[in-house]
Amino acid sequence: MLKGQLGLWSSGTIVGIFCLFGFIAPLVDYSAQDAVNQRERQFCPPAFVDATPEQSRSCPKPTGSFFGTDHLGREVGIRLFKGIQAVFFPGCLAAILAIFIGGLLGAVGGYTQGALRAITLGLIRIIDTLPRMVFLILVCTIFRPSITLIAVVAGILSIPTVATVVRVKVERLASEDYILAHIAHGFRPVKILLYHILWLQCRSVLIRQASFIFGYIVFIEAALCYLGDYGVQEPQPSWGNMIAQAKSYALMSTWPWLFPSLAVMVTIAAFMAFGNVIANRDEGAKR
Amino acid sequence: MNRLVGFAGVVSKRISGAIALLIGASSIIYLTVRMAPGNAVDAITPMGTPDDIKQQLAADFGLNEGPVKGYFSWLSRAFQGDLGDSLVVAMGSRVVDEALPAYWITLRLSALALLFCLAVAFLAALATSHHQRRSGLMAAPIYVFTTIPSFIMAVFLIHGINSFVRYNISQDVIFTLDWYALGQPSDSIVPTLIGGLALVFSDGLFVDYLNALRAELTKLKTSQFIMSVKSRGASVWPHIIRNLWVPLVAGYAARLPLVLSSVVIVEKIFGIEGAGFLLIEAAKVRDLPMVVGVSLLFTMTVIIVDLLASLVRVATDPREVARGA
Amino acid sequence: MKNLLAVKDLSIEFDTKAGRKRVVDSISFQVGEGEVLGVLGESGSGKTITTSAVLGLIQGNPGVVNGQILLSTGDETLNLLAGLGDVMTGNKGIEVKNVRRWDRLVSRRMKSVWGSQMTAVFQNPRASLDPLIKVGTQVAESVALAHPDWTATRVRDKALDWLQRVQLNAPERVYVSYAHELSGGMCQRVMVAVALAREPRLLIADEPTTGLDTTVRAEIVKLFASLIDEENRAMMYISHDVREVLYLADRVIVMKDGVILETSTAHDIRHGYGQRAPYTQFLLESAGIFEGDPNA
Repeated sequence: MLKGQLGLWSSGTIVGIFCLFGFIAPLVDYSAQDAVNQRERQFCPPAFVDATPEQSRSCPKPTGSFFGTDHLGREVGIRLFKGIQAVFFPGCLAAILAIFIGGLLGAVGGYTQGALRAITLGLIRIIDTLPRMVFLILVCTIFRPSITLIAVVAGILSIPTVATVVRVKVERLASEDYILAHIAHGFRPVKILLYHILWLQCRSVLIRQASFIFGYIVFIEAALCYLGDYGVQEPQPSWGNMIAQAKSYALMSTWPWLFPSLAVMVTIAAFMAFGNVIANRDEGAKR
Repeated sequence: MNRLVGFAGVVSKRISGAIALLIGASSIIYLTVRMAPGNAVDAITPMGTPDDIKQQLAADFGLNEGPVKGYFSWLSRAFQGDLGDSLVVAMGSRVVDEALPAYWITLRLSALALLFCLAVAFLAALATSHHQRRSGLMAAPIYVFTTIPSFIMAVFLIHGINSFVRYNISQDVIFTLDWYALGQPSDSIVPTLIGGLALVFSDGLFVDYLNALRAELTKLKTSQFIMSVKSRGASVWPHIIRNLWVPLVAGYAARLPLVLSSVVIVEKIFGIEGAGFLLIEAAKVRDLPMVVGVSLLFTMTVIIVDLLASLVRVATDPREVARGA
Repeated sequence: MKNLLAVKDLSIEFDTKAGRKRVVDSISFQVGEGEVLGVLGESGSGKTITTSAVLGLIQGNPGVVNGQILLSTGDETLNLLAGLGDVMTGNKGIEVKNVRRWDRLVSRRMKSVWGSQMTAVFQNPRASLDPLIKVGTQVAESVALAHPDWTATRVRDKALDWLQRVQLNAPERVYVSYAHELSGGMCQRVMVAVALAREPRLLIADEPTTGLDTTVRAEIVKLFASLIDEENRAMMYISHDVREVLYLADRVIVMKDGVILETSTAHDIRHGYGQRAPYTQFLLESAGIFEGDPNA
């Protein structure tokens, strides 16, 4: 009993903190801590590590910077917090886009017959064929990349995954007796498809996919920043550009790239786990 | 005879489906190029490109023609091996000449990494098929480990090796976070090996494969025909291996796009000069013919491997023929 | 009549989320050589899990299996459960290593039993055949196991002969077919051929007609009757269909909720001799067989 709850609570807490910070980060004024004219404070170690004598001369007391400072003397902790803001709304956008379009395409592909089905499935297959990272880099080359655009494209590229799980589920359900009974009772097909099949039956897989896509956006933002400074641009912090910048100074200090890396890692894992746990609970409750 | 006709029918259907996919996917790539904002040629070339090269580029991509006509002239040129001339990365030499050798490196790396992943996952699935799904506290580190993004895995690996080498072997050898080892010969196998490991054990690839194989194995082991085989005293393993072959091949093909995405990152980080590395370098300087050419190669590989896998399935599983396309 | 199989005080318990559940409660029965034992009961009565225990094919995590399953191989009497009873028990309940140990022990024990001593025909015949191998090859596999010294041509001829004997039209064509190309009834005929070609001393038929059409069911039951008679093999025939069991069996046991309610001869039940248990009476009546009905 406790075991099942533990997965929910641990992943749920991280996801909850992430979403909460995503909402409140735009409201916080942090310009003082993020100022770049503090070069003498660069590479301060985090509060839980003993500073070398030369560092302790310039660095503030531990209370000042719990996660240390980066090469420009900016607080890593504050930037981690603000970095959530950079991916939160794009992540929501991508998830909503993929869930709505993917769910609809999957339902149409699974429920209809003939030409409409063939066209839908073909479209899904075509998008599925494009290797995501390669296509995103192509898009980044052609357009002036903003994180919103990247999120939209990543959302579109996630459509096939959503559509396929929904289609498989719908195909199995469409021939089940109670759905046939609904049809025989004269319910409108649209209502059966949207309410009885998509909402009641595919809810859990959609939640799982939304959570996965959110994790994927966190990943893609960080990866594209790392690879070619696409995505969120300085001075606005994001976890990706924090890692990308800190890597040049990796020999001088580990901390500035370690914390954002850990944050990306833990967040992605939490979103994956959260999606799975919630979906499993929802499916378990139905049985 | 009847079976042979069905077989030929399914094979031709699969091949025509693959051709349709190729046309669909390449048209998406082409349309993305056409959708460049403002004056397309200006938008997709680096600053200061001479006018004659701009003209050449516009002709290469059929930008002076309508989208449909332009697409087909571009596609037909692409299939004759003419993907245009590189603008910056390879300074005017043909994209194909540069991209194909690099692509061979990439393909070898990702195919071998995935094969290694498959082999290890297969053995692990055999060894752990009795285990129940883990839950609770143990699940958390496993989740973190298995969903770790490839580039973070690579960063950790490099840092770990870096520290190890500096403190245990020599102070002189220094890697920065991108793999620029001093005194490291460029054809060294070491980055490729570590990059391959980073490919296999990141992005959830290995665990995803392992779970799929384990589910398949459990399904097979508890399936009725295996019970039936057991109960008549025959050896079950020939039957299990034969039936596992189909999901193995399907899983390989299904995961290749994922690996081809990760390989771009891994090549960049470890300085393996394959197509992914080329892609990133070209993207950085907006060398569009190169980017488009490499993208097309990647997409074609996905389609071809998918086709090959489905043909293998048709050849090994008689139900595929009965099911039709 | 000499006992081929004797089950004594067999109890099976499963660990479920709601605690340990006893699905079979100290049952005892025997099958003699050349005898057909009918096991009658509705779904959930524990009859299928009993046959799985006899076959050593219990799936999942059995909590405890207690009692004795004695199989006489001619020279000796094997207790199929010896040393297995306490594998699963323990303070911590079921553990992975115990499941694995259970599997290993059972496989080692049953190696000499599966096939030569007993084999089984299950319900859902199409799922009982390997989907990727031609059905004829699967019959031949059985023949080759029964006669390891035979040449390939002789094995093939024998396999074809078996397909003929289970009354399949055009055995040559069936031989090169795959399971998905055959109907359910044809698949079950092939399964009967596969099982009998192995030449077991005891055939266990676990609801072999469930899911088939009524006419096909009658044919399969008749096929069992004639082949078992010809081969003079012992059979355990498990079914929820009273008429099938009464048609085939020499003796009948009636199970409900993991307990044997009645053991009697088919002859007695058919002719209404002796005292019926109320549940047996109920089963008979729901099949339209009333006491003393001579047409039954």
